[in-house]
Formats: sequence, C-alpha cells, structure tokens
Amino acid sequence: MTTNSASTPTIRQRIRALFSRIWEPYRSVPLLGWLIAALVAVGLEQLVGLPLARGLGLTKIPALFGAVVILSKPALTPSALLFTTLIYILPIGIVARFTAPLTNRIAAKLAEYPLVVTALVHLVLLYAVLHIWCDITDYRLLVARLAMISIILTLSLNVVNGYMGEFSCSHPGFMSIGAYVASAFTIVLFVSENRFGEALLPPALGPYMFPLALMLGGLISAFGALLVAIPSFRTRGDYLAIISLAFMFIVKSFFENMEVVGGARGISNQPDYATLPIVFLWTILSIWIINNFVRSTMGKALNAVRDGELAANAMTVDTRKTKMTAFLFAAFWAGVAGGLFAHVLRYINPDSFGIRKLAEVLAMVYFGGLNSVTGSVVGAVGLSLISEALRPLDIFKWIIIPIMLILIMIYRPTGLIAFTEFNVEKIFLPKGRAPEGAEHASA
Amino acid sequence: MEFFFQQLINALQLGSFYALIAIGYSMVYGVLLLFNFAHGDVFMVGAYIGFFVSSALLGLNIFGALALPLSVTLSLVLVLTLIISMALNSIVGMLVERIGYRPLRDAPRASAAITGLMIGIILETGNLAILGPQRRSFPELIQSATINIAGVSFTNKKILIVFISILLTLALHQFVRHTKWGMAMRAMAYDYVVVPLMGISTNKIALMTFALGSALAAAAGILYGVAYPVLDPNMGILFGWKAFVAAILGGRGSILGAGLAGFLLGFIEIFVATIFPSTMRNLIAFGIILIILTFRPHGFFGEPFSAQLRL
Amino acid sequence: MPLLEVHDMTHFFGGLRAVHDYNLSIEPGQIRGLIGPNGAGKTTIFNLITGIYHPTEGEILLNGEEITRLEPNQIADRGLGRTFQNLRLWRYLSVLDHVKMARYSKLTYGLTGAFFGTSKRVREEKATDKLAMDLLELVGIPHLADQIVTNLPYGAQRRVELARALATEPKVLFLDEPTAGMNPEELIQMMAIIRQVHSEIGMAIYLIEHRMKVVMDLCEIIQTLNFGEVIAEGTPEEIRNDPGVIEAYLGKEVVI
Ligand SMILES: Nc1ncnc2c1ncn2[C@@H]1O[C@H](COP(=O)(O)OP(=O)(O)OP(=O)(O)O)[C@@H](O)[C@H]1O
Ligand SMILES: [Mg+2]
Repeated sequence: MTTNSASTPTIRQRIRALFSRIWEPYRSVPLLGWLIAALVAVGLEQLVGLPLARGLGLTKIPALFGAVVILSKPALTPSALLFTTLIYILPIGIVARFTAPLTNRIAAKLAEYPLVVTALVHLVLLYAVLHIWCDITDYRLLVARLAMISIILTLSLNVVNGYMGEFSCSHPGFMSIGAYVASAFTIVLFVSENRFGEALLPPALGPYMFPLALMLGGLISAFGALLVAIPSFRTRGDYLAIISLAFMFIVKSFFENMEVVGGARGISNQPDYATLPIVFLWTILSIWIINNFVRSTMGKALNAVRDGELAANAMTVDTRKTKMTAFLFAAFWAGVAGGLFAHVLRYINPDSFGIRKLAEVLAMVYFGGLNSVTGSVVGAVGLSLISEALRPLDIFKWIIIPIMLILIMIYRPTGLIAFTEFNVEKIFLPKGRAPEGAEHASA
Repeated sequence: MEFFFQQLINALQLGSFYALIAIGYSMVYGVLLLFNFAHGDVFMVGAYIGFFVSSALLGLNIFGALALPLSVTLSLVLVLTLIISMALNSIVGMLVERIGYRPLRDAPRASAAITGLMIGIILETGNLAILGPQRRSFPELIQSATINIAGVSFTNKKILIVFISILLTLALHQFVRHTKWGMAMRAMAYDYVVVPLMGISTNKIALMTFALGSALAAAAGILYGVAYPVLDPNMGILFGWKAFVAAILGGRGSILGAGLAGFLLGFIEIFVATIFPSTMRNLIAFGIILIILTFRPHGFFGEPFSAQLRL
Repeated sequence: MPLLEVHDMTHFFGGLRAVHDYNLSIEPGQIRGLIGPNGAGKTTIFNLITGIYHPTEGEILLNGEEITRLEPNQIADRGLGRTFQNLRLWRYLSVLDHVKMARYSKLTYGLTGAFFGTSKRVREEKATDKLAMDLLELVGIPHLADQIVTNLPYGAQRRVELARALATEPKVLFLDEPTAGMNPEELIQMMAIIRQVHSEIGMAIYLIEHRMKVVMDLCEIIQTLNFGEVIAEGTPEEIRNDPGVIEAYLGKEVVI
C-alpha cells in the first residue's frame, strides 16, 4: 500500500517530465512556424490524403481528425489514428521544429515592419490553411463557417456577460433580428422567388451589397437592444437577466407571427453569399474591433462598471453611456453573426433562435472563459468541434457535453481561459533564442 | 358572461401550474440566490414519475380487494400518486443540488446558472434516451364530470386542480412561517451568514429547499398530466422558463408573490389568447412582463436588492 | 470667491434626517477637516456633494456654478475627486488601469478610437499611461502598477484609491478616512503623502478623520458634526477646547 501510494506521484511526475521534454523544442516555435507547419499538413492531405485513407481501409479522408470515424466505427480506430498521425501530427511536429530557426528569423524581420503587415502575413497564411482544409469536403466548409460565426457570437456575448458582468439572455434575439433583416434584404433585392417576387436589382451586384445587408441587420439589432439597455440604467443583475430573457421570447414570437417572413415556417432561398473568405473576413474584423475596444480605457470602463458601478461613476466614468455602448455593440455583432448564419444555412426559422441557441452561446462563453478574447475563440471553436465530433453518439452527445461543462464550471468557474488580455503585438513575435542550447540542457 | 367564467377557470388552471413551479424557483432563488434553471425539467421528471407511479398503482390494482366504487379508487390512486411522486421527486431535486450546485456554492452565480442549464439538458436527454421520443398519455385519475354553478359549467378536474395547488401553496407558506426549518430558510434568505451561527447547516437548508421545490414541481407535473393527458420530454422547457419569469416577477424569495405572479401569468396568457390570435400569446405575455419589469424593476413583492447580493 | 460652497443642505433617508442645514465654503488650496462620532453623517455629506445622493434641500456651487443635480461623473469631471471610506476598488483591474480609468472623461478619442485603434487613441493612451505612472510615483507605488488590486496589502490599496482620485484632476480632493485601518507606520507615510500631494498639486483638500492627530496636524479649519448638524467650526486650537465637541465625544476614548 505505502509503496503504491508513494509511487503514484512519481509516475505522474515522470509522465509530466516526458511531456515537457517532448515539448521543450517547441517552446521556441513562433506562430509563423505553426502556421507554415499546418499549411504543409493540409497540403499533404490534399495531395496524398485520399490514397492514404484508402490504403488504411477508410472510405474517405476523415473529416474531423478521425474523431467521427472512431466513434461511429470503432474497428477503424487504428486507421483513423494512424491517418491523423501521418498527415497532421508528424508533419506539423517535424516542420514546426526544424523550421523554427528560419521562422524565428522571418518573424524577427517582420517585427520591424508595421503591425498591419505582420498581421496580414499571418492572416493570409491562416486563411490558406483553412481554405485548403475545407477544400476536402463540403462538410468541413460548413463546420468551419459555423464555428467562425460562433466566434463572433461568443465574443460579443462576452462583452456583456464577461466584460460588463451582466447575465444577458437576449443574444438569440439579436441574432435573429440580424438574420431576418439581412435575409429579407438580399432576397428582396437579389433573388427571384415566390415570396418576394422578382429580384429588384441585378443579382450580380448582390455579393458587393452583402456587407450592407449584414450591417443593416446589425444596426437594427442594435436598435432593438435599446429595449434591454435602457432598463439596465435602473436595474442590474437578476432582473436585467429576466428582462433580456423576455426580450428574447418577444423577438422569437414576433417572427413567429410575421407571416411576411414565413411565420413559424421560416424563410429560405438566401443567396450563397456567406462564403468561406467572407465569413473569415467578418470574423477577423469582429475579433479585431472587439479586442481593440476591450483593451482601451473606454472599454475597460465596462470592467469598472462590473466591479463597482458607484466608484466608476465617481471617477468620471459615464456609466449610462458605457452600458448603452456595451449592449448596442454586442447586439450589433450578434446581428451580423445572425446575418452570416442565415446565409450559410440558407434557411432560418424562429426556432433556430430559441432557448437551445441561448444555452449553446452561454455555454461557449462560460466554457472558453469570461473577460477574455482568447477564451471566447477557444470556447466557440472548441465547443463547435466537440459537438460535431460527437455527432455519431446521437443524443448521448447531449449528455456528454453538459457533463463536461458542469465539470468545467466546478473546477474553473470562470471558464478555461478567463480574465486575460489578448495582446496582438506579442503573439507574432519570434520565440526564445538558441533552441539548440535549450535542447542540450534538457537532455 | 359564461364564456368569461370559463376562461377564468382556464386561467386559474394554467396559473396553478405556473404558480407551483414558480414557487420552487422562488424558494431556491430566495434562499440560495441561485437561478435553478433545471427546475423546469425537474417538473418534467415529476410528471413522468407521476405517470409511472399512477400506472403502477392502477396496474397492480391494490385496492381491488376492497371492492370500492371506481371514483373512490381513483381518488385514492391520485392521492397516493401525489404523495409518492412528490417524495421521489424531492430526491431528484436533492440530487440536483448535491451534484450540480453544492460544488459551486462560492463560485460566481452565473456559473451555477450554467450548471443548471446543463443539468436541465441532461434530464431531457436522459429521458429521451431511456424512454424514447414518443409522447405518453397520462392515465385518467379523475372521472370527468361537468359541474354547473349558476349557469356556468366547467369540469370537476379544473376545480380540483386549482384547489390542490392553492392548498399546497398555503401549506408551504405555513411551513415556512411557522416551523423551525422554515424560519431557518427565511433567515438564510435574509442573511446568508447567520444560519451557520444558528447551528443549522447551510447544506441541509439548501437540500430542503430543493426538496420542497421539487415536490411542488412533481405535484404540478401530475396535475398537468391530469389536465392535458400527454407528456413529452420537452414539456418542461417553455413551461419552466415562463414559471421562472413569474418567480422573478413575484419578487425575490416571496412564496406568495411567486404564486400570485404564476396566476397572473396564467391570466395574461388565457385572456390574450381570447382577444388576439393564440399565436400572439407569448409575444404579448412577455411584452407585458417586459413593461412591468421596466417600471417595477424589483417585481411585486421583492425588495430592491443591494450590496448583499453575492455575485 | 470661495471655490466650493454649500448652502443650507439638508438630506433625509426616509424619515431619518441624516444632514441638517449644512453650510460649507472652501477656498482654493485650503485643507479642511470634518470630524464627528460614528453615524454623524460625515460620509453622507461627501456623498451629497459628489452627487451620489441628491440633497433633499440646499444647493452646492463650484466656482459659483450650481452642481447640485448633476450626475457623479459630471461632478467628478468638474473637479471634485474622492476616495471611499470602505475601499471601492475594481476587483479584476490592475493598479495602472485603476488610475487610467479616472481619466475617462478627459479622453477624446471616442468610440471610433476605441473600436479602430486610431493613432489618436494610441497617443492618448500613451500619455495617460505616463500620467498614471507619475501619479503612482507620487503616492509611492510605481512598482505595483501591473498588480491586480485584490492581491495588495491594505495600505497599498488606500494609495491606489488616492492616486485614482488624483487622476481626475480634482480642484477639491475629498478623503474619507484616508488612514482608517492603518498601522502607525503606514499612517505616518500616508500623512506625508497627503502633504506632498498638497504641496505639489496645490488643490484644496477636505478630509474626514477619526484620528485626531491627523486632523489636528493637517487641517487649517475643522468642522465638527453631530447628528447631522455642525456643532463647532474653527481652527484646531478652537476645536480642541470647544466644550460641545468634548461633549459629543464623551464616552469615547478619544484624546483631543
Ligand atoms: N443609503 C442610506 N440609507 C439609509 N440610511 C443611511 C444611508 N447611508 C447612511 N445612512 C444613515 O445615515 C446616518 C449617517 O451615516 P454616515 O455614513 O454618513 O455616518 P458617518 O458619519 O460617515 O459615520 P462613520 O464614522 O461610521 O463613517 C447613519 O445613521 C446611517 O445609518
Ligand atoms: Mg463614514
């Protein structure tokens, strides 16, 4: 007994030591290195993925890193794991590690240019990876776009629930306003169908007007947010939560009663404007703007209102304006996300924006982490992918995901990555000098 | 006029369900300052427990030997079903507290709200997984009869449902007013810190609060089964959220307030549905709630909450 | 003309008359004190002047301009900065962010700057950074700039509050028991800081204190409050010998 209990920690320590030894050389890989390595991996998949998958006895390339295959056909587990190892883990591991000196040098060079240039280089690479990855199946394309829309939603909800510390439940409502407005805009103007008749403008113009549709949706949604923002001057916390919840129900049943937009049956035939690059651009734009906002002193006023409204007020902070900004800003982005959502699925109905959606977005915010841009990205992408990967489990998925979230709430009540600042200037920088030296030291 | 009275009874019946569920929300909210978002699904579980208990009682025919008239047998079954299901469902409630909320006692309240949401989803999915998606019809425990009072006719079921709910509400009110446990609950609602000083453990009070709320939810579930005899796993969602709104409308931790707000919600819905198309029901009901809360931000019976709210 | 004037201010909390016919006049650069037993209404007077409550009766003038009904943020922006008796710091913000936050109304980059990170914003935030660091230097905690306030010892938290109040560029600085809960060493440091702040910036200071030594040493004029009414006003010497003041403090072990 005694030896047993004494040896457990050492095994754990040994495993930990092993991991940190494997990880050691990767500490000096800059973001650029990871992106290039990922690019190599997806390129490899594009070139030899299909023959390799067939060779391993899989019918096609595993869509989500083999998770779906493992859960639906457990017998193929070794093949799926092998595929993921050969296509992703090994190539990324090797390329990231051995190009590190080079990528560090490039990153150092890039650091001399304005931040915009550096950011653009990284974004182009990131987009390339995403594009090639999604090229394999339409399913990936769908998952990726929905995951990015979730990022916008989660981040914007985090502005109110995390940064300002309210418990707002109206996000599905804002989202549906954006979705319906943008859909009506594009369908009326650019699509000939039964409900709204002939297209009013040449359809070729449509994609260029799409940003306008999204912004219109966002603005009207922000206008609707006044209904929640104004009561927030007088009441906070629980009662505001109820007000926002009532707002969500009102919007939902409003659209259920609007026969012009299909009532409970919903509205379809949205044009296919929400392509991968478009969704990508809007996601990056939202991250950039929201991150800018929350890092400014104006944005940190949200935190001051959360942590002590009275003191904020006495320190010259205009708390009303701050609350108003937070609600309207968040609603704007939720509306934009809704517009994108409608044009990705190309069909919406009021039920898409109910309690289930609310539970989903709240889960993403609190899973990823409050008051954190990184947390929201991780929460949105993480939960989207997990939810897709568990699809073969059918309804048991809805037992596993909640249990996972409960555990996270118990062990990390504010979420995985909470209360951090996303420092754009730092992430592009080259990493630790002299990787060889570090390697020798640890060996 | 007759139409009006019938609608009145309908409103009272619908209000009974909201009231019974809202009281459960309100107690948990008052005592622990938690949103128990799983409560609507606890109501659903209660209805299913009632379904199985009553089916079992009828199937076993335990009163068969007594050769009682059918109506008496059914009444006995109803009473037994209520008692057994309330007891069983309070165990469910206590489990929810123990597993989902106690570990989060000192965490931010929003985290606990998320846990509640997730427990609700687990309960719904668990039901779906075990019993399948088909709806079940609740056994007929009250023989339908039409009563005619002063020219207005309504079914005995509705009267009984309203009667039982009011009875339960008042019983709970008495319990909270006059027993040691009830006093401790109120003390805790008033000040979180003093209860441990009184030598009563916070955890016990929390368990009891959940048990009581869940028992009432089971009663609501059974009465719901008696009224509209179909059950489905998602029945708790919308019902639960509406009752939750009623609880807040009633005011923090006020049992009678929650009960009254539950009835109020029933009235709003039923009368809206008689005047406007029934699809507008939610729209107008929630519109009214939004207006009420905008102008009376602390509900009807609640006090303005202050720094003592632990966020 | 006095910098700040209060005329016949009365305030009720429900049926409780917390402040009665209160008058005040502060000259630029003056240091004044407000003393009185617990519950006398001292904090309430601060809250009324800084706009947290609006008085039932009376008027408040700053530089001859009426500010009675303004919101706290407007009053603070016009030059009444304050600290709180029970620290009111923001739990998750760093020390530097606390001080910067008090510059809120002085920032001009607006939402455009906040959303798009314009060069104007970058400039203003840099300038604010520098100003905030200077103030932290002044109160002696520049090394704590990046700390989250909850991790700091009590004395340091009081200094953060002071620096934050200074960042609003007060013409009158209201200090509500700035040395409460401090040990003798911290107390001496705090007094030195207050003196230094006063000599460097030269604003008027109005402070509430229970420790007579602090008030007597720092203030030129002291008001004594009891049950919401001023019972004595004068130099430290006069207050020390006022029978009414001694009466009000009877039963409390205070050495005047
Ligand atoms: N918001 C409020 N509502 C009702 N009564 C209040 C409120 N704030 C203060 N009071 C009451 O007003 C009176 C004066 O309180 P105040 O806090 O101004 O006293 P104080 O002189 O600052 O005392 P201390 O030395 O303890 O800080 C007290 O009786 C207090 O209970
Ligand atoms: Mg005081």
